[in-house]
Amino acid sequence: MKYNPITKDILEELVEILGAKNVIVDEEKMENYSHDETSEEYAHMPEVVITPKSADQISKVMKLANKHLVPVTPRGAGSGLSGGAIPVFGGILLSIEKMNRVLEVDYDNMMIVVEPGLVTNEINGIVDEKGLFYAGYPMSLLTCYIGGNIAENAGGGKAIKYGVTGRYVMGLEVVTPTGEIVEMGGKNIKDVTGYDLKRLMIGSEGTLGVITKAIIKLSPKPKFATDLLVLFNDAESAIRMVPKIISEGRIVPTSIEFMDKLSVHTTCDYLNEHLPYQKAGSMLLIEVDGTVEENVNLDAETIGELCLENNAIEVYVADNYTTQERVWSVRRNIAEAFMVYSPEQSLEDIVVPIANIAKLMPEIEKISKKYDIKMPSYGHAGDGNLHTTLVKNPNTTIEEWHEIEEKALQELYNIVYELGGKLSGEHGIGLKRKKYMKDYVSEAEIMLMKKIKKAFDPNNIMNPGKIID
Amino acid sequence: MNIIIPIKQVPETSNVKMDPETGTMIREGVESIINPLDLYAIEIGIQLKEEHGGKVTVITMGPPKAEKALKEAIAMGCDDGILISDRKFAGSDTWSTAYVLGEAIKKIGNYDLILAGERATDGDTGQVGPNIAAYLNLTLGTYISRIDEVTSDSIVVERLLEEGYEKLQMPLPSLITVVKEISYPRLPTLRGKQKARMTDLPLLTASDMELEEELLGLNGSPTRVVKIESPKVTRGGTIITAKDEDMLEESVDKLIEFLKSKEII
Repeated sequence: MKYNPITKDILEELVEILGAKNVIVDEEKMENYSHDETSEEYAHMPEVVITPKSADQISKVMKLANKHLVPVTPRGAGSGLSGGAIPVFGGILLSIEKMNRVLEVDYDNMMIVVEPGLVTNEINGIVDEKGLFYAGYPMSLLTCYIGGNIAENAGGGKAIKYGVTGRYVMGLEVVTPTGEIVEMGGKNIKDVTGYDLKRLMIGSEGTLGVITKAIIKLSPKPKFATDLLVLFNDAESAIRMVPKIISEGRIVPTSIEFMDKLSVHTTCDYLNEHLPYQKAGSMLLIEVDGTVEENVNLDAETIGELCLENNAIEVYVADNYTTQERVWSVRRNIAEAFMVYSPEQSLEDIVVPIANIAKLMPEIEKISKKYDIKMPSYGHAGDGNLHTTLVKNPNTTIEEWHEIEEKALQELYNIVYELGGKLSGEHGIGLKRKKYMKDYVSEAEIMLMKKIKKAFDPNNIMNPGKIID
Repeated sequence: MNIIIPIKQVPETSNVKMDPETGTMIREGVESIINPLDLYAIEIGIQLKEEHGGKVTVITMGPPKAEKALKEAIAMGCDDGILISDRKFAGSDTWSTAYVLGEAIKKIGNYDLILAGERATDGDTGQVGPNIAAYLNLTLGTYISRIDEVTSDSIVVERLLEEGYEKLQMPLPSLITVVKEISYPRLPTLRGKQKARMTDLPLLTASDMELEEELLGLNGSPTRVVKIESPKVTRGGTIITAKDEDMLEESVDKLIEFLKSKEII
């Protein structure tokens, strides 16, 4: 695909639509929009950054972009992990940062209507006083935007109980790649009026349109939460707890987070955490929540007893701010702890059926040994989504690393697919995993995806170069 | 070795909001936790018990809900907890609190060591520990960062000073207040939590002790909060700029001169 460069005329037209303040060409300022949270090697500069304030403006921009055949890449807060918001073909970078208003708080229907650039966690700040919360939030909720969450169908640590972003999106207003403003879904709990286009938009990674408004479902906020930090001798014993907790314990916890031996040891060491982790071969962090304190404690106790019956070395209980912060900081600091060892990493997002996580662990260890790299595995054991990370051995050159990275990833994905898994659970394909799509996703599926893309975006100008070519 | 640890339940303050008009904290919806600095006293107390035998008793003066703090300490490994609670204690300052705690400790009796956190994170005075020592006429060691040796009638400790450490040999019984350096608090275990739930917490009220009514609560407290003000931050900072490379040396000289004038170097 050959795109046209942004000319002076196009810039003038953009200024006319958006006002001079919302059209940025300053190189230094644009640099911030050239990357997300993936490694620097994926970065690419846009030719112009725009910060529209309405669907109407975006519609005009899309029509202009079609006319001149220039690519448009929508961007949220830039906390993505797949390179999805990187303008690989230059062109227009459309940042939704100025569309951050709360349009309506509808307590009668327990919904909130927001613009896409609202920081996700702000929803909770607004509705907290009514005992409500937004349950679909990801780990990065303090910085990410709700629009980005929807575009990526972001998941998080609480998906086992609350599901992921998509479950809470009731309706969307979208500007299509050709510039139409379309309302999809709405405030109705049930709606089978034609194809569910809203569902199609969720997780489409900004390739099918720009989300300009979202109707979000709110949930009653649990009053109490208790966390269990459980040490096990080995990874398998920990992983085997997941189905046991649900079927034998008859409890769906809010989270079941898993950390393998390498993650536990490196992070505890990094945090100067003096838990007796030295003897631990893996760790689970299990959270239960609810409205009645006694019930929450009872659930925690049931799960704790189950763990002790099944090879747990020790079960720690955190039911107040001090201890909860402490146990969660072990989980939250894993990525940072490995940065100290080597900043060259590939953070993966593989997902397998929960029953197969135990089979995956020894295979990861084999790959790690074969290529002499560290491969800590941690993540959401409750839903089979593991953030296995490839960490460069500091003794290898960057060229060697790229070679190793590609081979090791291929082997990892092969095993994941043998176990019935998928490339990405919650981060998306974007730019980073695009080249692996054709090897693991059927031709028929890719064909359908291409046809859908073509129907929405005949000139292929909306976030081109992502998911599929 | 029998140890008594007075602890305090405090509001969790890391996410706290202030009332802009009164300058006081908005307590509504704020969780109560064990004073974070008391956790170090609890940990070292449990360690001493594990090494030398005896038992650890935690006590707290507060409303009935402060029971939760005692249960948490028992879940960590303390043996007993005693709640000292009475409406008459409401509004006590550090002096009056130390008076009641001192009387409570007398009533409990049979102790070798009293361990206290350095200070509470809410009032931030660091007075109650030393006040108890004064009231009970015990040897006091503040800012203790290490316990080196324990015998049947003495204890050797290290005291953290601004410019180093002081080694103290203290007779037993005595009272020490401890700093963070002394230990890494453990987490409560499931078994500990279960034990704590089964443990009865005796209640001590004003009438259970020999207290003089006029020394209790707000009326018995010599401290008066007259006014609460937020301090104004006046640190402006000095910025020395080097616009280009030629100015680098000159700017560095200026910086050195500035640091010398402040007697920093």
